[in-house]
Amino acid sequence: MADIHFGVSRALREGLPGKKHWKTLALFLALVGPGIITSNVDNDAGGITTYSLAGADYGLALLWTLIPITGVLIVIQEMCARMGVISGKGLSDLIRERFGARITFYLMIVLFLANLGNAISNFAGVAASLEIFGVSRYASVPLSAAFVWWLVVKGNYKSVEKVFLYACVFYLSYIVSGFMGKPDWGEIGASFLRPEIRLEKGFLTMAVGLIGTTVAPWMQFYLQSSVVDKGLKAENYQYIRMDVIIGSVMVSVVAFFIIMLCAITLFQNGVRIESAKDAAQALAPLAGEYCAWLFAFGLLNASLFAASILPISTSYTICEAFGWESSLNRKFLEAPQFYGLYSLMIFLSAGIILLPDMPLIGIMFYSQVINGAILPVILVFMLLLVNDKRIMGKYVNGRLMNCISWLTVAVLSVLSLGLIVVSLF
Amino acid sequence: MAVGDEPRSFIFLSAILGSRVFDSEGRAVGRVLDLGGNIQESYPPVTHVLLRLEKDNRVVQLPWRKVESSNGELIVPSLQPEDLRSPSLAAGELFLKDALLDKQVVDTDGAKIRRVNDLQFLKAHKALYLVHVDVGFHGLLRRVGLQRPARYLLRKLFDYDMTDQLISWKFVQPLSSPDLLRLTIAHNRLAQIHPADLADIIEELDIHQRSAVFRSLDVETAAETLEETDPKIQVSLIQDLDMANASDIIEEMSLSEAADLLGDLPRDKAEGILREMEQEVAEDVKELLSHPEEKAGGLMTTAFLRFAPATRADEALETIRREADDMDLIYYLYAVDGEEHILGVLSLRDLLTAKPETALADIMDTRVISVDIEERKDRIADDFAKYGIMAIPVVDADERLKGVILFKNLLEVVAPKLGR
Repeated sequence: MADIHFGVSRALREGLPGKKHWKTLALFLALVGPGIITSNVDNDAGGITTYSLAGADYGLALLWTLIPITGVLIVIQEMCARMGVISGKGLSDLIRERFGARITFYLMIVLFLANLGNAISNFAGVAASLEIFGVSRYASVPLSAAFVWWLVVKGNYKSVEKVFLYACVFYLSYIVSGFMGKPDWGEIGASFLRPEIRLEKGFLTMAVGLIGTTVAPWMQFYLQSSVVDKGLKAENYQYIRMDVIIGSVMVSVVAFFIIMLCAITLFQNGVRIESAKDAAQALAPLAGEYCAWLFAFGLLNASLFAASILPISTSYTICEAFGWESSLNRKFLEAPQFYGLYSLMIFLSAGIILLPDMPLIGIMFYSQVINGAILPVILVFMLLLVNDKRIMGKYVNGRLMNCISWLTVAVLSVLSLGLIVVSLF
Repeated sequence: MAVGDEPRSFIFLSAILGSRVFDSEGRAVGRVLDLGGNIQESYPPVTHVLLRLEKDNRVVQLPWRKVESSNGELIVPSLQPEDLRSPSLAAGELFLKDALLDKQVVDTDGAKIRRVNDLQFLKAHKALYLVHVDVGFHGLLRRVGLQRPARYLLRKLFDYDMTDQLISWKFVQPLSSPDLLRLTIAHNRLAQIHPADLADIIEELDIHQRSAVFRSLDVETAAETLEETDPKIQVSLIQDLDMANASDIIEEMSLSEAADLLGDLPRDKAEGILREMEQEVAEDVKELLSHPEEKAGGLMTTAFLRFAPATRADEALETIRREADDMDLIYYLYAVDGEEHILGVLSLRDLLTAKPETALADIMDTRVISVDIEERKDRIADDFAKYGIMAIPVVDADERLKGVILFKNLLEVVAPKLGR
């Protein structure tokens, strides 16, 4: 620890650009994390399910949407990261100070419900992926919930964050399994060159779903807080931006391989699936057992990863907004609301999975609907904040950035609201 | 304050904000946006009210003394155009909602950072004085408008009555802007907090508040606080100061802490600070800096007492009295020969109980435990555990006494690993 820290401060003091490349690299490596972790958590159980369905139902037709999705991710996350670095405050903190108690209170309730839904879907992902390996959900879910709880409450957050960063490597399993499906690269390349839009309900819903699963409301809060936790100053901002861009590209690469694999195997053989678990099982006869295992392992990793981060991020966000003690360095009794919310969220979401006859698909579906409904609100708040000179000083959005970001927010809002309308009727 | 017929009562800011303002003839004037108060008074009086005018949506400010009544709605006399000025406050005044409501403050009594849910005023005659800050859940529910249903529910279900969690203004240190810290500096409340708690608070603040709070501390408090702060944050706090201020604060720190901190700073900054420091202290710090942080040499301090064995007890006591202020350790005295070899050790207790004319050689313990300057910290920790001492001397390859490691300094190294 001490050595690493020493290295960081030395890199910070000497590593301004233009000097030596390895120093810049050392500095970058010391500062990366928030963007990459956030993006990877974003590829959670819900995300992987959506990608699998997109590939299985529509083949390569939706692959091209990953390009605009990457752009959207970068635009949104860059603003969050910038706000974190410049204001030194988390997003819920800023929302509370700028928009007052009432708005914040209701926003936090809705956010809690949406995140609870996401947490449920991730524990469902854990259960599903381990069932492929023959482990009963009555063993896997309680164990993984206990593990997640223990990791954060008893562990040290710095080491937890490192574990998370290493866990990102496991997303490579999707890339490996993608290659095991023996793709025809010419055809895949062509699908990017000839973007296809079909004006039919299923196709459009799926396109919106892809975007919706990539830009989730909780991400904004998580990313900004982790940037703040790093305690960075404005002059290091460029490294965070790099971190965010790399993270966003990583998301899309993983998504690409999942969609592609499902397209060249399931879609071409006309296999219909309902979930990521179906996808893994259907892959075995088509692409080999190892490929299916890798796919299932990827789902396990993604679900566990997101299940660890979502509850803690939610409790941080809420406690920050209401001014409750929220630090992992505090004992349980010193920060009762923080640990209470955290524990409640884990045990509630894991418990719901274990209840017999729970309509899991329905819960996941409605959590997506809530996500979609509050996303525009949060994005608009973000844009108002990022353009507030009192908070951001000279780091407010430029005119071009504002055009791009308002346009992005408008499109995203229309899409997510559209998705809700379409899915409700 | 003069008390008229009107009884004294308390009123919350949330009840005033948004109230309608009428003139004495019953014409609607506007709505309350904010209240201005003089923050330099120990209980800030409300001096202005900020209004949005009904007729042209202009935002104007009005002196509070013009307000004739403030029960539910505000009544003001018929206003002339010159009464309505654009918002501008005198020095020491600020808009209370803007600066305090929903913002973070330090509760200096409980040594915690809190978020302000509401402000409570004492209404005496027509004047309003800010007396309490509401940080409780009840206050939050009042702001949200759910106070009544929540209270009803809790009473019915759990027979529990929610109470307001109020902090007296005299224990509140606002943080929202550097100006606020400067304004209240005359009676800086942060100095009431123990430096170790202050360090915890500083670690939890954002980077801007952090350096504003730190700058507001006097040199001694700043040094004590800095010793208790996380090394990474120490560096960023010192980086924000100029060389002269930084060196003043670092001089006040214990030698080993100062050396650790300077070792973490960028080279040019550290050298600049060393140049500003007193020659003698700077030499000592440089000596400590030459040893790696995780070995005995990096943990030790050189501010301790050594004597010739022939020194008499009363002379030694006299020396301690004179030097104690600059020493990191006075509890142990080391007897050394001309070449700095350790001959024996005695404690302050031994010295106090000895007859004044006794020579140190007669009362010292010659079985001295010491560690080599290259020794690793985990081995040193073992020695502390085994011998149960408060400080351990450090010797070089020629057995010459170079410094002393305090148990406290090692504790900071090993404590995080305990109980994990």
